[in-house]
Amino acid sequence: MKILVPVKQVPDPNALRFDTSGHFAASTPREINEYDSYALEAAIQLRESGAATEVVVMTVGATGARDAVNRGLAMGADRGVHVTSDGLTAAQVAAAIVVEAQNGYDAVIVGQETSDGGTGNVGPTVAAHLGFPLVSNVVELAFSGGSFALQREVEDGRHIVEVDTPVVICVLTGLNDPRSPSLKGIMAARRKAVEERAASDTADAAVAWGNLYAEERRAQGVIIDDADPAVAAQRLVELLREKKAI
Amino acid sequence: MAAGVLLVIETSAGTLRDASLELIAPAAALANGGSVTAVVVGSGAAGAAQAVAERGVGHVLLADNAALERYTTDGYTAAIEAAIAAVDPAVVLLIGTTAGRDLGPYLAARAGSDCLSDTTALRWDGDTLVGTRPVYGGKMLSDVRLTVPTGGRAFAVLRAGQSAPPAAAGDTGSVEPLAVEIAADALRVRLTGVAEKPAGGVNLEGAEVVVVGGRGLGSKDAFGLVEQLAEVLHAPVGATRAVTDLGWRPHFEQIGQTGKTVRPKLYVGIGVSGAVQHTVGMQNSETIVSINRDADSPLVRMADIGVIGDLHALVPAITAAIKAAQG
Repeated sequence: MKILVPVKQVPDPNALRFDTSGHFAASTPREINEYDSYALEAAIQLRESGAATEVVVMTVGATGARDAVNRGLAMGADRGVHVTSDGLTAAQVAAAIVVEAQNGYDAVIVGQETSDGGTGNVGPTVAAHLGFPLVSNVVELAFSGGSFALQREVEDGRHIVEVDTPVVICVLTGLNDPRSPSLKGIMAARRKAVEERAASDTADAAVAWGNLYAEERRAQGVIIDDADPAVAAQRLVELLREKKAI
Repeated sequence: MAAGVLLVIETSAGTLRDASLELIAPAAALANGGSVTAVVVGSGAAGAAQAVAERGVGHVLLADNAALERYTTDGYTAAIEAAIAAVDPAVVLLIGTTAGRDLGPYLAARAGSDCLSDTTALRWDGDTLVGTRPVYGGKMLSDVRLTVPTGGRAFAVLRAGQSAPPAAAGDTGSVEPLAVEIAADALRVRLTGVAEKPAGGVNLEGAEVVVVGGRGLGSKDAFGLVEQLAEVLHAPVGATRAVTDLGWRPHFEQIGQTGKTVRPKLYVGIGVSGAVQHTVGMQNSETIVSINRDADSPLVRMADIGVIGDLHALVPAITAAIKAAQG
């Protein structure tokens, strides 16, 4: 089985602060999208168990996006693909993934959504274009005898499903415990091949994004930001009493 | 101008997924004078279809088939595509359940269109459908525009909890069966079982006060702060999905889309950022307090009271102040 893991480099959500015009500092650290590291770990475990023969990590994005591929290689993916196009919509990113996925892959394992745009559109879109079945929100994954046994976390609890390859699987956190790249892994990654190419015949985007802006705070919302915790706590107690909430 | 809206009503084991009803008011607003049609997808879902027809939807299609008892992408796709063929809508509207978030982009790609996912509001600007989207974990918003191709259609997924479901009215629309052929091997993803949500612990759903810890606490040990505050408030402890994933708290404490739904008089979130997967399970709380180091986090924005600062200093101080106030 040959597995493709599309990943994305995103601004660290915990470090991300926006200014009033909707921009964030260029110095904001970037990291691999959290869900994607679970997808990588799942794929690498399948290769280590002998179920998969090759794991390819790919990304679509500007030069810096390559770091996400490098992390995947350092974790243990076999080779990388970097499509060097920037500013694409989810549909255009999906189209670039579909081009690669047509090279004989049996499974595409992808994070459920990203922490930046967060449409969650990429997995379903890739599945539809490839004509592969889609299994989303996956929190348990096993493979044997040519089919996956999966558990999906949904409103009902968990759906327990089986599906044959080829398939697109979208994973949540909690699926596994993603490894940190070891020094040996990082050294080995430097010798692994990364194919770099531009997105071919990118179709026009049907969706256009506007500028970022901040949501209005709830009109009656009060912010307490006293430096002294005891003062802040006292203020909170007064407000809760006024609201008869305590 | 494009007209006509198809809204998708989800069921599970014959039971209406209530969030689907939140689509009715936005669908009417987007109809542009065209028709509003609901397709109810399920098995043994006649009651669900009736409930939709009683809420002001003039035309209800019932796709009832044993293969549609629970959501599968292939089954729902067959039903919704049959409905699309029957009514040729300009917009297909879905609610942001786990199923709706699959289906919007999946159906859009199959139709050669695109999908505005996870929107909090939708409107027309000429022939362009404009959605308001929270991005970067809800820290910012963006207006996304989808131009409907001539003769084509737009797909959109609306976040749950943005719009109230209409009350059942006396006048009832018509319910019409919609034939859907689903061959035995058509569902490529085979549903072999359903595991109920983990049970146990205190009754979070019925609690008047709930104290919830999020990943912002930084460690399992820091949950002791949450427990101490919960104790003085006589409240059960809840958790976000991230926290139960990390094994800091048991799964039965999870509040949110795939966890429990709470509606307390007082909700206190500590280090909870306010991802939609959590807020859909607590947004109807009467008073919301968010204690967080980040004033821009979505839960601070939606809170009645936001307390900003270092959790490890703030939470013990708040616990002490409440204890003192109780005498």
